[in-house]
Amino acid sequence: MSDSVSLAVNGEERSLEVEGRTLLVHALRDGLGLTGTHIGCDTSQCGACTVLLDGRAVKSCTMLARQAEGHEITTIEGLGQDAELHPIQRAFVEHHGLQCGFCTPGFILTTADLLSRNGAPSDAEIRHALRGNLCRCTGYQGIVESIRAAGAAS
Amino acid sequence: MIPAATRYARASDLDHALELLGEPEAKVIAGGQSLIPVMKLRVARPSLVVDISQLDLRGVREEGDVLRLGPLTTWAEVAAAEAFERPALAAIQECALGIGDLQVRNRGTVGGSLVHADPASDMPAVLLALRAQLRLRARDAERDVAVADFLRGPFLTDLGEQELVADIAIPIPPEGSGSAYVSVEHPASGFALAGAAALVGPDGETVALTGVGATPFVLPAGAVRDAISRSEIFGDRFASEEYRRELAAVVAARALDAARQRAKENS
Amino acid sequence: MSDTLIGVARPRIDAPEKVTGATRFAADGYVHGLLHARPVLATDAHARIRGIDSEDALAIPGVVAVLAAADLPIASVGTDRTSEPLAREEVVFAGQPVALVIAESEAAAEDGAEAVVVDYEQLPSVVDVEAAMEVGAPLARAVEETDDEAGDLESIHAGVDHGQEDDPSEELSGNVLDRITRDRGDVEAAFAASAAIVEGTFRTPWVYQAYLEPQVCTAWLEPSGTLVVSTSTQGSFVTQRELARAFDLPLERVRVIAEPLGGAFGGKFALVEPLAVGAALALKRPVRLVFTRSEDFAATNPASAQVTHLKIGARADGTLSGIEARMIVDRGSNAGWGVEGITSLLVAGPYNWEAHDIRGYGVQTNRFTFGAYRAPGAPTAAFALESLLDELATELGLDPIELRVKNAVVEGDIGVSGNPFPVIGVREVLERIREHPLWATRSSLPENEGIGFAAGHWPGGLEPAAAVCRVNSDGTMTVVTSAADMSGVNTGFAVIAAAAFGLSPDDVRVVTSDTSSGPYAGGSGGSKVTYTVGAAVLRAAEAARQKVLAAASQELEIATDDLEVVDGEVRAVGAPDRSVTVRELAQKALRFGGIYEPIEGHGGSAQTSGAPSVAAHLSHVRVDRETGQVELLRHVIAQDVGRALNPALVEGQMRGGATQGIGWALFEELDHDEDGRLLTGSFLDYALPTAERVPEIETLIVEVPAPDGPFGAKGIGEAPVVGAPAAVANAVAAATGQRMYELPMTPPRVWKALRA
Repeated sequence: MSDSVSLAVNGEERSLEVEGRTLLVHALRDGLGLTGTHIGCDTSQCGACTVLLDGRAVKSCTMLARQAEGHEITTIEGLGQDAELHPIQRAFVEHHGLQCGFCTPGFILTTADLLSRNGAPSDAEIRHALRGNLCRCTGYQGIVESIRAAGAAS
Repeated sequence: MIPAATRYARASDLDHALELLGEPEAKVIAGGQSLIPVMKLRVARPSLVVDISQLDLRGVREEGDVLRLGPLTTWAEVAAAEAFERPALAAIQECALGIGDLQVRNRGTVGGSLVHADPASDMPAVLLALRAQLRLRARDAERDVAVADFLRGPFLTDLGEQELVADIAIPIPPEGSGSAYVSVEHPASGFALAGAAALVGPDGETVALTGVGATPFVLPAGAVRDAISRSEIFGDRFASEEYRRELAAVVAARALDAARQRAKENS
Repeated sequence: MSDTLIGVARPRIDAPEKVTGATRFAADGYVHGLLHARPVLATDAHARIRGIDSEDALAIPGVVAVLAAADLPIASVGTDRTSEPLAREEVVFAGQPVALVIAESEAAAEDGAEAVVVDYEQLPSVVDVEAAMEVGAPLARAVEETDDEAGDLESIHAGVDHGQEDDPSEELSGNVLDRITRDRGDVEAAFAASAAIVEGTFRTPWVYQAYLEPQVCTAWLEPSGTLVVSTSTQGSFVTQRELARAFDLPLERVRVIAEPLGGAFGGKFALVEPLAVGAALALKRPVRLVFTRSEDFAATNPASAQVTHLKIGARADGTLSGIEARMIVDRGSNAGWGVEGITSLLVAGPYNWEAHDIRGYGVQTNRFTFGAYRAPGAPTAAFALESLLDELATELGLDPIELRVKNAVVEGDIGVSGNPFPVIGVREVLERIREHPLWATRSSLPENEGIGFAAGHWPGGLEPAAAVCRVNSDGTMTVVTSAADMSGVNTGFAVIAAAAFGLSPDDVRVVTSDTSSGPYAGGSGGSKVTYTVGAAVLRAAEAARQKVLAAASQELEIATDDLEVVDGEVRAVGAPDRSVTVRELAQKALRFGGIYEPIEGHGGSAQTSGAPSVAAHLSHVRVDRETGQVELLRHVIAQDVGRALNPALVEGQMRGGATQGIGWALFEELDHDEDGRLLTGSFLDYALPTAERVPEIETLIVEVPAPDGPFGAKGIGEAPVVGAPAAVANAVAAATGQRMYELPMTPPRVWKALRA
C-alpha cells in the first residue's frame, strides 16, 4: 500500500516510499534519516516536530507526507550553511536558549518564521508566537532572550 | 499516534473533489489541523483522504455590502487580511490571532474548522454574531445556509456527504458598528471554556457564545444575564456548569463593552 | 589551580550540536533489522487477566509477535516495574502494560496493538487515598509479593532514614505499606506555650514530569551474547543492575549506554528497559520501544498525590515551637518505595523547632506506579509549611521573611532527622531576597494584586564516583565520566578540569561512557552530580596535572615545585620563557618509543557530608476575581548554589525549577475518575506552563561554598522548585485575602474559593 513520493527537502529533491497515512515527521525521520525533527507528543501541541513549509512554521506531525508534495520543506538540518551556524542557531547558543535540546530545533524554526515576518518583536509578541512550542527545562526566558538577540542581529 | 491505513488523492478542482467524495468513507482534508489529530487518535478512519488544498477557495473579496471569505483561507491569512481591518469586523482578527498557535494558524483553515464543528471552537461565535452565511456546493446544486442552521450539534453539521463549503459570506455591518471577541481558554487545550462574540451597531446588539453548549449559539435578545440563565449550559470536571454560566456572562459583558467602544470610535 | 575560569557564563559545550539537530537522541539511531514494540495498556484500574487473544493481531502483515508476561524471560520475583514489566495476572492500575506487540514497522505495531483483545475480570478498586487507608477498604493489590532487593531505586533520589516505624494504636488497612514516625520533645506542651497556633489540610495532585522526550529504549543481543541497551536514562549503572537482577544475567554481559537525555526530572529509571530487553531476549532480535505521549501519560511513573494535615505554633517573639504533621502519600501501585520518608523530613523546612511529631504514610491505591519528580516530596511539604508560616506571621504581626530568618537553621543545628545540618545558606538567601525592591512594594499594590514569599530546601545527594582525565596528542583533554548529563553537568566538568589542570575550557571535551568501560557514577538525580562526580573530575584533573608536571620537569630540568601549568603550557614560575607546551609533552608520550607516561589521571570521590541547597521566591500575581484566573506578573528566586561554576547554567536551573513550581501551583494535575481511569491523558487536558503564561524570572545567585564540593560547588537542580508553589499560593492569598489549600489553583478553583 506504498506510494512513491518526491519531496523537496533542504533544497534537494528526495524520493521515498510512503503510505497514504504516513505523517511528514515520520517520512523525514525514518524515510530520509533527518532525525533533528523530534516527536514529543501525539496531540499536535508540543511543537518539537516543527519544520518550515514554504518558509512558514508547521507541525510536521500534523501533515501527511503526501500533502507536502510540491512544497519546499526546511528542517533544522537545512538551516545553517555547511559548518556555519544560522544567526538564530548562534543566538540560541550564545544566549543560553536550551538545556536538554529536545525542543530546540522546533523553537528555532518557529523563530525563523516569526523573525521573517517581524524583525523586532516585543517580548510579548515573542511569547505569543511560542504558544505552539513547549519547553520543560528552561522556563522560556533563555529562549526569549535568544530570539530577541537573533532579531537584533539580523 | 499513527492513523489507520488510508489512501490519499489530491483534487484538481471543485468538481473533481466532489467526484472523489462519492466514495462512502472519504473525507476532505484542507489544512488538516482538525482532521489529522482525530485520525491519529484513530477516532476518524477515512478510507480516502481528499486533499482540496489546491482548489481556488482562498482569500477575501469585497462584493457590495458583503465580504466573501474563501474556506481555504488560513487563520494566519485571516489575521493579516486588510479587508478585516475595520472596527465593525475587529472580532474576526481578534479571534483569529488567538486560535491554536503560530504553526496551527499557518495551516488551519476557516472552512476546515467550521466543518469540524468543535463546540468550543472560537470562530463560529464570531460568524454567528456577524450573521454569516455559507454557500454549499454539491455536484449539481448550490445552496445558502446561515451558520446558525449549519451547526447542528457537537461535531455535527448540515453538510451533505458530497458537498463542500464554497464560500463564507459576511455582511459588512453598517457605519457606527463595532465587534469584539473575548474568551477564557482552557489552559491546556486553548479551546474556549467560554467565548463571546459581540456585534454592536445601529441595528442593536448581538452576542454569540461558544464553549458552553452543544454548539455555539446566539443569545436570545434581552439582558445578557437573563438570557444566559435561560440557556442550556454544559459543565465538566474541570469547569462546572455553575462556573461556566458565570464565565459566559463575564465574557459576554466584556465583549459587549469592547464592541460598544469600537462602535463609538466608528461613528 | 586557577580560579579565574570559575564563574564565567559560557554556552553549554553541547549547544552547537543541539541547535543543528545533530544530537542523536535515543530514538534517532539506525539499527539494522530493528523491530518495533507497542504496548497494550490495561483499561481497568484493578482487574484479573483472564486471557489475551492475539489471533487478529498476529494476522496483521508486519506483526511478528504478541508477548505477554510469561513470554519475557524474567527471573526475579516481585511486583516492581522491573520484575513485572507486563502484568502477570493482576492489573493494579489503568494504563499498566499487559502485552507487547512486536512488528517490522511502527505502523504495523500500532495496528497490531489495536487488534489485541484482553479479557478482564474487574476487581474492586480503591482510588481515593484517604479511603484506601481505612480498615475495610478494598486492597489495591490482592496478590502480595515483594522482592527485598527492589529498594535500590529509592536511594538514588535521597538517602533518607525512615525514623521509627511503629504505632500499634493506629488501625489502618493493608493498603498502608509504610508508616514513618519522627518525634522529639513534647509537642502538646510546645503548643500550650505558643502565642499563636495555625493549622490546615493541604492537598496536592499527581503531577507528571512531562519531559519533552518520551521514554525510549533499544535493546539487542550482540553475537558474543552481550545484551546492549541504548536508552534515555538517568543512570546507566543503575539500569544495568536492575536488568541483571531481573533477567538473571551477569553484570559483564549487560552493557547499558546512556544516550543524551531529552529531559527526565526523575522519571527515567529502568522503566521501559525491562520491556524492550524482555522482547529482545525472547525474540533474539533488536527491539525499540518508543512510548507515544499518550502511553507516557498513562503508563510511566509520575509524582504522588499527597494530603498533609499540618499544625504549627510559635511564641510571641516568633520562635517556632511545635510542629505536628500527618502526611499521606498516594504511592499508587508502587509497592517498593514512596516519598513518605522524604516528605516527612522536609515538612519541617530549614527551620528550628522546639518539638516535633510528624508521621508519614505510604498508601497504595489503584493508580500509577509513583516515581520521582524533581525534589520528590518537597514542593508538597513546602506548600503546607510555607502557607502556614505566612498565617503565623499574620497572627503574630511579624514580617513573613523575618519570621523565617529568626528560625533559620545554621550549620550544626539538629534537624528532625536527628542529624546536624551541614553548611547551608538559609539566612543568606532570605536576607538577599528581603533586600529585593519588589518585597518593599507589597503593601502598596493595586487591588487584586499580591506578592507572596516562600522558601524551600533540598538535602542533596551523596554517592561515590570516579572520573578520568586524558590528555590527547593534540594537547586537548578528554574528561570521561558515566554520569548522564541531565542538567548540564558536562559543561561544569569541562570547566573544573580546565581550571584544575591548567587548560582553556575550549580545549576540554567531555564524554559520557557506558557501563562496559566507564568509571563509576550513580544515577543523575538527587542534586549530587556536580558535587560528587565533579569532585572526582577535579581529582582526576589534578592527577593528570601531576603527570604533566613530572614530564615537564624532566623535559625542562626544573623541579616540579617551580613549575606551573597555564593555558596549555607548563612553565617556570617567574620565568615564563622557560616552557614547554602540554601538546609537545603529549606527543612525546603518545607514540612508539615515547619517553613519558601517558598524561592521564583517575580520580574518585566519596563525600560523607551532604550539601543542601536553599531557594527563596517572591511571586507577584494579579487575580481576576470574575474568572478566577491568576496572572503571574513577576517572579524572583534567590538560591544558595555553593559556587556558580557557570552562572548561565545555574540561572537556567533556577528558572527551569521555578517554572515547574509554577506548573504545580497553577496548571498541573493528573486526574482520574472514580473508577481509576485517567481523564487527563494528553497535553490537551494536562496544562504545561507556556511562554505566554510564565513571567520573567529574575535570579539572584548566593554563594555559600560547600566545603567538600569542587571549587565549593554543589548540586542545585532540585531546590529551585521546592518553594515556588507556596510562593504563588501566598501571593494569591495576599491578593485576595483567600488562602488556597489545594493545588493547582485553577481558575474554577480560585473562583469557587472566592465565593465560599
